[in-house]
Amino acid sequence: MSAQIKRSVSLYSYQDEYYSGKLDLEGCLAETAKAGATGVELLAEEMIRQFPNPILTEEFQEQWKGWMAKYGLTPTCYDAFLENRIFDNRTLSLGEQVEMMERDLKLASLLGFQSLRTLVSTPMDVIEGSLAYAEKVGVKIGLEVHAPFSLNSTWADGYMELIRRSGSRYFGFIPDMGIFCRRVPDVVTDKWRRMGAREDCIAVVDDAYCGRVEKGFVKIRYDLNLGKANMEYRNANGLAVLTEQLQKMNAGPADFGYLNSSYTYSWSDPQDIIDNIDHIVHCHAKCYNTTADYRETAVAIPEVVAAYRKAGYDGYLSTEYEGGESLRDALPVDGIEQVRRHQEALRRAIEVQ
Amino acid sequence: MAGRQIYDPEGFRNVEKDGKTEGFSFRFKLQYYRGITLSIIRDIKVTVDGKTYPREDVRLSVNGETFTLEETRTVISPLYRWEFGDFATVTVLTEGGLSAGKHHISTVQVVAPSYMPFQLEPVCEADFEIN
Repeated sequence: MSAQIKRSVSLYSYQDEYYSGKLDLEGCLAETAKAGATGVELLAEEMIRQFPNPILTEEFQEQWKGWMAKYGLTPTCYDAFLENRIFDNRTLSLGEQVEMMERDLKLASLLGFQSLRTLVSTPMDVIEGSLAYAEKVGVKIGLEVHAPFSLNSTWADGYMELIRRSGSRYFGFIPDMGIFCRRVPDVVTDKWRRMGAREDCIAVVDDAYCGRVEKGFVKIRYDLNLGKANMEYRNANGLAVLTEQLQKMNAGPADFGYLNSSYTYSWSDPQDIIDNIDHIVHCHAKCYNTTADYRETAVAIPEVVAAYRKAGYDGYLSTEYEGGESLRDALPVDGIEQVRRHQEALRRAIEVQ
Repeated sequence: MAGRQIYDPEGFRNVEKDGKTEGFSFRFKLQYYRGITLSIIRDIKVTVDGKTYPREDVRLSVNGETFTLEETRTVISPLYRWEFGDFATVTVLTEGGLSAGKHHISTVQVVAPSYMPFQLEPVCEADFEIN
């Protein structure tokens, strides 16, 4: 019998409903269950007031466990934000950062999470310094692999070396499906169109994106100066050339805005999932716009899920709806419906014969 | 259909102290997806009808406490986070406040999440009326 991939929802997906007061934390959990997921991913700083205090109380822990039972949910991933520049005059010391990571690992374990998402800005020695504690509390640290980063890259090599060196099974990767975009999400294009981007300029940007998908992206390299690494990455993938081209077309701010925006999406070969499956602890199933007939308009769901199936993955794919950020300036956002559709799209891809 | 609501439409008012109008205030929500410690706020730039007010005249209130923007730099207590989805109150000290009638506000929330190579600087615009 083949491994069963499970489905989760990240409560990031319901941010617009939470923001407007339509859903509270329990309401989000109810919607997660209604959408058919059996797992839930939490951003404590999004929905738990006076973070982290309540999580340390038995009262909240019991309430959380009660909700998990009531809605038939399993805690999957706890999304941490290592606020290592919490003061504006310095970066926290290594010791302070490890202390913060251990705090977050503890919070995750208190709520029953199996993994903790850390961001690409997390210094490697902070991860290494926290591994013993991660093992102690039984929570795996997962480094988010978010566009423009990718597995099978020199950026990832350093982390693979850390895995080999430490021999730890408590560190791995959390691929974000935004690294499997065949095109710029249509809601993003429409937003820039609304802001005045011209069709001829949009076509230039879209054609260039397709070209990068066909040829393969030049991969970003490791540098904790993320701004610098990102600029080098963009130029290596044609940004300077395209900027010049748009300038010659007398393009306006919205056209350049769209061009820059296109570099926040990327395409990796789904084979990357198979190659790295032993080190994948969780997955952010990023989505931007899923149609009424369950097609994600940018992310290659069938191909990526097929790779997970082939690799024998039995962890969670966790819906992370992000389309709202392209809509909310001018249009209503329906995270509930988008999550429902995306969960169905995942289900179909997982259960395909 | 309009986009999301940022400002509390009922929140615009002049602020009086000891019988004098010492400024005006408004309430708005953070344009981000999680609550934050006040220490990662780098600035709140307030412009009304084209006039930008000095940073030292801006006050931020959450959970019943009021801070200057110099003070928020060191506020890390869980008690005083700007919670996601909650209105925070901004008070701008300016003698006489705003005139009765229609106005336009443009505010920039400058926030620096540690993991981002850049700051968030969402511009928040609205028309409002002072009675």
